[in-house]
Amino acid sequence: MLLQKLIGRNQRLDAYLDVAEFLSGLFLVGFLWTHMLFVATIIFGTKIFNKVPAILDATYISYVGIFMVIIVILLHMLVAGRKIPANLQDQLIIWRHARRLSQKDTWTWVFQVVTGISILILASIHIWAILSGWPINAQISAGRVQETFFWFYMLFLVVCEYHAGIGIYRIAVKWGWIHRQKVGKVLTVITCSIVILGLAALLIFRFVIKAGGAP
Amino acid sequence: MIRRTLTIEVFRFNPQTPDIKPYMETYTVKEVPNMTLFVALNTIREEQDPSLMFDFVCRAAICGSCAMLVNGRPRLACKTLTKTLPSHIKLLPLPVFKLIGDLSVDTGTWFRHLNLKTQAWIHTDKTFDPKAIEERMDNETALKIYEAERCIECGCCVAGCATANIRDDFLGAAGLNKIARFMVDPRDKRSDQNFFEVIGTDEGVFGCMGLMACDDNCPQELPLQMQLAFVRRRMAMTGIFGGK
Ligand code: SF4
Ligand code: SF4
Ligand code: FES
Repeated sequence: MLLQKLIGRNQRLDAYLDVAEFLSGLFLVGFLWTHMLFVATIIFGTKIFNKVPAILDATYISYVGIFMVIIVILLHMLVAGRKIPANLQDQLIIWRHARRLSQKDTWTWVFQVVTGISILILASIHIWAILSGWPINAQISAGRVQETFFWFYMLFLVVCEYHAGIGIYRIAVKWGWIHRQKVGKVLTVITCSIVILGLAALLIFRFVIKAGGAP
Repeated sequence: MIRRTLTIEVFRFNPQTPDIKPYMETYTVKEVPNMTLFVALNTIREEQDPSLMFDFVCRAAICGSCAMLVNGRPRLACKTLTKTLPSHIKLLPLPVFKLIGDLSVDTGTWFRHLNLKTQAWIHTDKTFDPKAIEERMDNETALKIYEAERCIECGCCVAGCATANIRDDFLGAAGLNKIARFMVDPRDKRSDQNFFEVIGTDEGVFGCMGLMACDDNCPQELPLQMQLAFVRRRMAMTGIFGGK
């Protein structure tokens, strides 16, 4: 035992951080999936779609929710990002290691880092776009998608769902009881379905709904 | 059957002669039926290059000394049939462990440190009575222990682990599997708190990122995913709520 390790550190910290990564990840996947289901209500028409934000607004869930999600995203960035090697040499070792080993799970982790960082940027743009065009309704959303944001949202959708799918797979593998081949299959199906729902919603916003209101 | 000619590229470096930089040397060998990499390497050493260094003892996947990177993946040379490989084979020594020369690495020191650090023996206050009848253990527990004990300390899981490649204090799946083995053993009197002190940090179970290269590459096919998750759950509970 070394002195600095004996007196200078909190023995339980690593456990807390790993649990925080797990919980924040779980929360965000839960949020993302519900979010996509809400958005997909556009498939049933603008009336139903518009009800969702109305209810969320009336119960103040949107105000508290958006704030909470932002906080959790930041927390998740810190605790999940702690495993990204800080120095370039180590990053190189990981890169070479991943290429040499060419094992799926190691590669997905590398992509997880890349998509995670992209999400930070994409999500900031998305939140800014939503808040500056408040409130949420089908006409405003359609306007957004038709004017500038179509390709942005295509990319955002795929990157987010990929990150969430792999993330929840990793959580299941690290903490769960079920063999990972099974978990992987189930999650692939869920992720693909949600991406398809999201694409359908996007296409409807792009080509079917009449735009109106602020972009 | 047309016999293939195997092209085997081998990493060459001898720490004794550091002036000669590491390089890859290429050998060709005629494949024979049921040839393993171990046989191929011996053929090379006998017929072409007596200076080639690599390890083996049991040639039956028991001693764990012949592990190396075969086309990038950790494998036991004695368990790998050449017919499962393409005709161009690239061999590197295992990373993480100290290089002795060419394909030979020192896994012994690493595993000795591991066994000392995890105190891999039964901790009990009972004195052993050689005349007494052995205490019974229920079959399920015995099987669990036996399953974990099948580890041959070959180091494939450690070499495949991204974490172990950048953190030299990480105990790896082999180490955590070992802890899991003592956790289920009713004869071991260590508390979860005791275990937590050894593996409750990023050097232990929380350093693992769940990339499962260990699980994919263990030649003994140990259930490492389950073992790691079991230890992680136990240690997270101990870390947060305090152990028994
Ligand atoms: S699951 Fe953990 S121990 Fe196994 S290779 Fe990945 S990081 Fe290493
Ligand atoms: S757990 Fe498997 S891969 Fe790791 S040292 Fe033991 S036998 Fe080898
Ligand atoms: S020589 Fe013993 S495991 Fe291969």
